[in-house]
Amino acid sequence: MARNISYQQAIGEALAQEMERDETVILMGEDVAGGAGSPGEDDAWGGVLGVTKGLYGKFGDRVMDTPITESAFIGAAVGAATSGLRPVAELMFIDFMGVCFDQMFNQAAKFRYMFGGNAETPVVIRTMYGAGFRAAAQHSQCLYPVFTHIPGLKVVTPSTPYDAKGLLIQSIRDNDPVIFCEHKALYTLEGDVPEEAYAIPFGEANVTREGDDVTIVTLGRMLHVAHEAADALAKEKISCEVVDLRTTSPMDTDTIIESVENTGRLVVLDESHPRCSIATDVSAIVAQEAFGALKAPIRMVTAPHVPVPFAENLEDLYIPDAGQVQQAVRTVMGKD
Amino acid sequence: MPLSKDELLKAYRMMKTIREFEERLHVEFATGEIPGFVHLYAGEEASATGFCMHLDDRDKIASNHRGHGHSIGKGCDVDAMMAEIYGRGNGLCGGKGGSMHIADLSKGMMGANGIVGGGSPLACGAALAAKQLGTGGVAISFFGDGASNQGTSMESLNLASVWNLPCIFVVENNGYAEATSSKYSVACDDAADRASAFNMPGVVVDGHDFFAVYEAAGEAVKRAREGKGPTLIECKLNRYYGHFEGDAQTYRGKDEVKNLRATIDCLDRFRAKVTSADLLSEAELDVIDGEVAALIDGSVEKAKAAPMPAPAELLTDVYISY
Amino acid sequence: MSLDDHAPSIGVLANPAAGRDIRRLVAQASVFPIAEKRNMITRLFSSLGMLGVGTVYMMSDGNGIADRIRHALETPPPSDQIWPKVVFLDMPIEDRAVDTLVAAEKMVAHGVGGIIVLGGDGTHRLVASRAGDVPITALSTGTNNVFPAMREASIAGLAAGLVATGQVPVGDCAVRNKVLRVDVNGVESDLALVDLCTSTELWIGSRALWRAEGLDQLFLSFAEADAIGLSSIGGLIRPVTRAAEGGLWLNLADPASAPIIVTAPLAPGLMIDIGVEAVQDLRPGEAISLRAERGVVALDGEREIEFSQTDKLAVRLEWDGPLTLDISKVMTYAAEHELLHRVNAN
Repeated sequence: MARNISYQQAIGEALAQEMERDETVILMGEDVAGGAGSPGEDDAWGGVLGVTKGLYGKFGDRVMDTPITESAFIGAAVGAATSGLRPVAELMFIDFMGVCFDQMFNQAAKFRYMFGGNAETPVVIRTMYGAGFRAAAQHSQCLYPVFTHIPGLKVVTPSTPYDAKGLLIQSIRDNDPVIFCEHKALYTLEGDVPEEAYAIPFGEANVTREGDDVTIVTLGRMLHVAHEAADALAKEKISCEVVDLRTTSPMDTDTIIESVENTGRLVVLDESHPRCSIATDVSAIVAQEAFGALKAPIRMVTAPHVPVPFAENLEDLYIPDAGQVQQAVRTVMGKD
Repeated sequence: MPLSKDELLKAYRMMKTIREFEERLHVEFATGEIPGFVHLYAGEEASATGFCMHLDDRDKIASNHRGHGHSIGKGCDVDAMMAEIYGRGNGLCGGKGGSMHIADLSKGMMGANGIVGGGSPLACGAALAAKQLGTGGVAISFFGDGASNQGTSMESLNLASVWNLPCIFVVENNGYAEATSSKYSVACDDAADRASAFNMPGVVVDGHDFFAVYEAAGEAVKRAREGKGPTLIECKLNRYYGHFEGDAQTYRGKDEVKNLRATIDCLDRFRAKVTSADLLSEAELDVIDGEVAALIDGSVEKAKAAPMPAPAELLTDVYISY
Repeated sequence: MSLDDHAPSIGVLANPAAGRDIRRLVAQASVFPIAEKRNMITRLFSSLGMLGVGTVYMMSDGNGIADRIRHALETPPPSDQIWPKVVFLDMPIEDRAVDTLVAAEKMVAHGVGGIIVLGGDGTHRLVASRAGDVPITALSTGTNNVFPAMREASIAGLAAGLVATGQVPVGDCAVRNKVLRVDVNGVESDLALVDLCTSTELWIGSRALWRAEGLDQLFLSFAEADAIGLSSIGGLIRPVTRAAEGGLWLNLADPASAPIIVTAPLAPGLMIDIGVEAVQDLRPGEAISLRAERGVVALDGEREIEFSQTDKLAVRLEWDGPLTLDISKVMTYAAEHELLHRVNAN
């Protein structure tokens, strides 16, 4: 039975159901309960944005507040994953990867290959990303391309409440390390989500809108910008197909190519920076695999190559918007 | 509990195996047949052995660059280790890890580590898993004086203390982080001072004396198994070879290593003690020497003869290859 | 800023390794940070410099105190203070007990007017074996010790400085100490200042003795009822002062069958039942042969000598131990003789 719940509730529900199902699933992070050792409530926060609220009451010491010590607790989650637990660690902001990156890309990502297939590291690192909260340069980045670059990591970027639940459940059940990226602007987004547990397989992009003229490949929060643009373009009689990647590693290149072969035109919409991003990666794949199908040069719509600014007007300018997407689509249609 | 005769023989065999393994690698590396970087543990055998003698299948260790000794101590197969160091397809990691990344999780050996300071957070995790799953296991992180300065080391000490983990942190202080003296690089001179800052016991032991390490290790393991929390132990010891093979060690004192070998060698000391106490005979130890020499000879021979990994192996053991 | 090189000199010998042994793990022995040892030494400098001590000789070490002091010397002391010149002894560094022995010998050879020792019973034991008649100012670094006291370093520095500069006569304020000497196969081998204990444990291992099992015989030069460590076993039965002519020796036994059971604080926070079979007076000069066939001898609480069936060991109490300054007596003498106060003529 599906109900209308938020992205945030969907994530909390996935965690609760998986913790119920499998007692080796534990949760750790800064203030994931919130209040350890304090005189007041033990479950005061449930994560900085309340995503894990209530889990401490249900699961007790399987929900562990950590000191602010990302290297140690992300590393501990990785180590515990090689030792019989399935930890879900919350790295509060993706920007904080800077102080624990070694444990993710040199340790977790490498074990299976480096140890000749004799290691599994079923750890999930949930982390919040994206601009739009006036949180400025160190709390707003879209760093999923960095993780996507690293073999051995799986990278997930859900765009809807339905996907958030199904992809998180898959992440927890998966035996490889998963970086689960939650866009902070999506937490309040509501949508239909089944009550029961379900898993969405990795590497299967979602064609969220069918169309004939242009393929817009996007992910995360930008999916909604793509739809806004597609709605507007429909009034100009331009038919857009929208492909939501869901996971950037593994990436569903088949669906992208198939769509481009149908439409003959590609716009890639990515909130990260223009170089070595998902936009450049998708563009390169299409240029290599489906060049013959292209009727026009590919266009990329990304944030500019600058840190995320603080001032409201500047941040609004920074984030790609529907207008830029529409312009890019008109360009590939030869209508600008 | 005094060590039984069997245990004394086991300890000697472990130390001797490590020594022979490393001495032989030193020779073989010079021929140019061994690829990559090799960091030898010779001289430090009493530390790995003193700790690993207390461990069983429940327990896990995280190691470091200088990880061959810990791997042998935790029961990794010597032939498979040697094959791995030669980069052969039948190596412990299929030839994909090499010396710096030897691991055998089935034996509780969570990996040597190419990142200085990389192991301690992982050991915290293994200890957390043991605690949550109630296995009674403990985790040990072996790291050097160099890694003791890394943030990960300090963070792990704190986390282990905050979570009261069955985790033991072993600083193998051999006096040098690469070529830099610990006298220069470690502002806080002893583990004991650091440990007390993290609310855990910290002790210094003579890392050349198997019996000193074994005794301290036993107390720390017991404390961890009883749920009393982490311990930091610093073994003061020395390495006989350079940071890596090929290091000319011009930063060391004249005759430093020669004097160390002559005066405080852990194997010589062990032999002298157990024979003068009449617990083991020279002949019994000589038999082990012979068996170990044959084991290492065989492992080198087999490694050299073993095939390289099949080219198709390049793209296996990772969830996807583009 | 250095004073006349002919001015009196003093040795300051701080053991960086003191207070790091296994008693931190098996008991709750105190940890005494290197940084605090360094601070104590600079406080000594202030007192010694003020009294006109020209040179302080210090042990070179590989474990940090010497480096910390060098660093402190690069930072000028408060402007109203004059520190002595600090000379680090030219000596090989092995980071072992032998360093302390060599340093003490060299200090004596330099003609120091006193040696201030920072460490535990073990450090003092080592210095005592080499100090001869040079008076020792004994400062404990930690709570796990009997021979040295925990004192404020600036006061200890004043006392040592007053004696070294001849302002207070050493004869009035220094006391001779008893020692326990152990002979191995007829050769004088080593000494203990407070307690010498045999154990049937086989190895020196991690050095400290903290378990009742295996303790065999205990020899005490003095035994205070309020002491920590092995000497408390005697002290809680029959206290013997440092000044008393003789000492004690005890045969120990399994508490289950022994006639006397003492609950003794063998280490900080560690109260252990010890069985005592017999307590006897230990007369100076009398050699007592050890009864164990093999085992270890602990000197002042630390296992030092492994012996086997072929070795013959004997213990003697002698009155030829080190001279130690009585800090209270020195300071009282200074007060009575107006050495540190003067009438303000204004």
